[in-house]
Amino acid sequence: MRVAVGDDAVILREGLARLLEEAGFEVVGVAADAEELLELVDRSEPDVAIVDIRMPPTHTDEGLRAAKAIRAAHPATGILVLSQHVHARYAIELLSSGTDGVGYLLKERVADLDELSASVRRVGQGGSVLDPAVVSQLVGRRRQADNPLEHLTDREREVLALMAEGRSNRAIAERLFVSEHTVEKHIKNIFGTLQLPLSPDDHRRVLAVVTYLDSQ
Amino acid sequence: MRSKLLAVVPAAILAGVGATWLAAHAGADRPTEPGPVLTLLVGASLIGCGLASWRARPDNRLGPVMVLTGFVWFAGLLSEATNAPLYTVGVAIEYMFLCGFIYIVLSFPSGELGGTVDKAIVVMAIAGSSLQLAAMLFGSGSGLRCGGGCGDNLIQVFHDNGLALALLDLQRALGAVLTLTAVGLLTYRWLRASRPQRREVTWVLLAGNATLIALAVTVVDDLLGNPLNSGPAKVWFLTLALVPIAVLATFVRRRLARGSVAGLVVQLGAPTGPSDLRVALARALGDPSLDLAYWFPAEARYVTADGRPVEVPAAGGGRRSTVVERDGTPIAMLLHDPALEHNSGLVQSVCAAAGLALENERLQAELRARLVELGASRGRLVQATDAERRRIERNLHDGTQQRLVSIAMSLGLLESRLAPEQGDAAPIVREARTALAQALEELRELTQGIHPTLLVERGLPVALEELCRRAGLPAHLNVALDVRLPDQVETAAYYLASEALSNAAKHSHGSEVRVDVAYDGATLTVEIADDGIGGAAIGPGSGLRGLADRVEALGGRFTVSSPPGRGTRLVAQIPCA
Repeated sequence: MRVAVGDDAVILREGLARLLEEAGFEVVGVAADAEELLELVDRSEPDVAIVDIRMPPTHTDEGLRAAKAIRAAHPATGILVLSQHVHARYAIELLSSGTDGVGYLLKERVADLDELSASVRRVGQGGSVLDPAVVSQLVGRRRQADNPLEHLTDREREVLALMAEGRSNRAIAERLFVSEHTVEKHIKNIFGTLQLPLSPDDHRRVLAVVTYLDSQ
Repeated sequence: MRSKLLAVVPAAILAGVGATWLAAHAGADRPTEPGPVLTLLVGASLIGCGLASWRARPDNRLGPVMVLTGFVWFAGLLSEATNAPLYTVGVAIEYMFLCGFIYIVLSFPSGELGGTVDKAIVVMAIAGSSLQLAAMLFGSGSGLRCGGGCGDNLIQVFHDNGLALALLDLQRALGAVLTLTAVGLLTYRWLRASRPQRREVTWVLLAGNATLIALAVTVVDDLLGNPLNSGPAKVWFLTLALVPIAVLATFVRRRLARGSVAGLVVQLGAPTGPSDLRVALARALGDPSLDLAYWFPAEARYVTADGRPVEVPAAGGGRRSTVVERDGTPIAMLLHDPALEHNSGLVQSVCAAAGLALENERLQAELRARLVELGASRGRLVQATDAERRRIERNLHDGTQQRLVSIAMSLGLLESRLAPEQGDAAPIVREARTALAQALEELRELTQGIHPTLLVERGLPVALEELCRRAGLPAHLNVALDVRLPDQVETAAYYLASEALSNAAKHSHGSEVRVDVAYDGATLTVEIADDGIGGAAIGPGSGLRGLADRVEALGGRFTVSSPPGRGTRLVAQIPCA
């Protein structure tokens, strides 16, 4: 899989490139700002572009804007946005422009090589990735006793969180040491309790779950 | 002064008697002659009122000008003399008094001619009066002046009565034009004048304009061969006699205005506030537009009664300023109408009378100015704090956080390169990575507390949404705000909500909390209410105290109502300048 990296901090983009190569990815190039990254993506059409959310010139949300631009010009290129902060709002903004091949991760997650390559691969294959910290903010939010989410069991809540992170049924099953069949049963219960239309597609249900969580 | 002026009186009496005698013994051959009564009336009015004005306002040129005009008027009557030299002089200066008259009405009240137009009119008047001399070069005494019984014209050089009469017609036509121009100019000035200025010139303007119009009618009538007989001339001489009286009356009324200073002193004896003082001074000075400014020595500038800075009016503008001093140091400044400049005596008396009251007001204004300054410095402190927080957050983000992430990456790399036989090292590396992740999370919490980046990047509604999402109690957010507000306002509202939400989660024992934010175009209102046990208070050292300080530094109001058992409600109203 071919990957491009955009980060204004040299130590981070070089470190990330090294980690990606270690994990078996081909790094097509690194960029120090959004403009450079867009040129790099135009030139080499990678499978995934990894971009820091905070870059020059304003150091605010350049990465998000670059992500939108890349999505528009290269729909086949997956985008993984890295952030040092947990802003559910940014994750939702990113997902709402389309969940195919997008991800939002806290920066330090990349230190876990297995986690990093799984995320990059998922995004590269058109799946989505949402940082567990963002998901736990959405799922763990205090709600009133009569809220449908409060009627879920702890296990169902766990499954819901893993779904929101963008994981497939099989990945959820492996993670929870249960059968895929059990996971499917949990998911059916969850969608029933929350009165959400059941989506057969692992990818598309992320947005449904996230927007539901955000609205409650 | 007085004795010098009195010395003029015998000369005036002599001139008056002489002129009246000449007028009485002139043949009633022309309807435009003043006759003995009007001769005396006009001359006596000019000289009498001139002397009185001179005494009342020695610094004003109008007094001497009126006296001189009176003598010229009397001298003009020499044209009735039979003695040849006297007759010649009389005819030559017969209409010179008109120049004085024009000067009086145009230069009133200052005694100085204001603009080029004024000066041009006076110069033209002098030229017009001198046409008489030109006519005398050509015409004989009898042709110019009277049917018979006049003296000889000693300066006649040529014999062309037709040309002489044509010059006199030209003189009269010019007179009519100048007269009407002066009427227009005076009326235009009246329309443009401020109220106190109008009050000042009303009488002179009325008498002056009436005289000018009567003069124009007289001249035109004379040009047409006097179809109206002696009527117009009688009216014009009568109104002419009124002009000096009007001038004197205005000057005397000003002296009377100083009597209102006594009323002012009485008024100031009673307790006054800043607006009372302004009203009292405005009344005493007859200038309703009067404003007061007070000296603020700490910043060496003038401030209003409520402590705001005041601009000193530029020279030549529509406003004038007079500085009031006490013992050589300025205490206040009167901002007034330019009309008062011609009456500095009154202004000085009023300032002297009001000195103590102004000094008192100045001390209060100084106090208020210090409060204004204090408020501004509180605002600057908050701004400086925010800037410092931003800087710290940025440094942590660009420095410490990045270095820690980079170390985490190295550890990740190390972990993957550990050979299988070094397996016992793997748990240690993982342990280090976990500790590092913990440290990064704590650092993240800390930097968000120091400076909420989301607030800066996405604005108050989004930042509050995120706060409510993370709140320890179910939080209902209701934001009616669709514009960005000044940084410090948004920051204050954000910290307020942040602190209130965490207080509600920690101390209220409530089941939910509401956050309502509304903006009406001028004020941002933030209300946070829980349904807990109440009993919160703004004590020293509490988080609420700091929030109250922040809101108040922005000129806002912060209230806490927290009756036991009935929840806590915090309301902040922050003006968005």
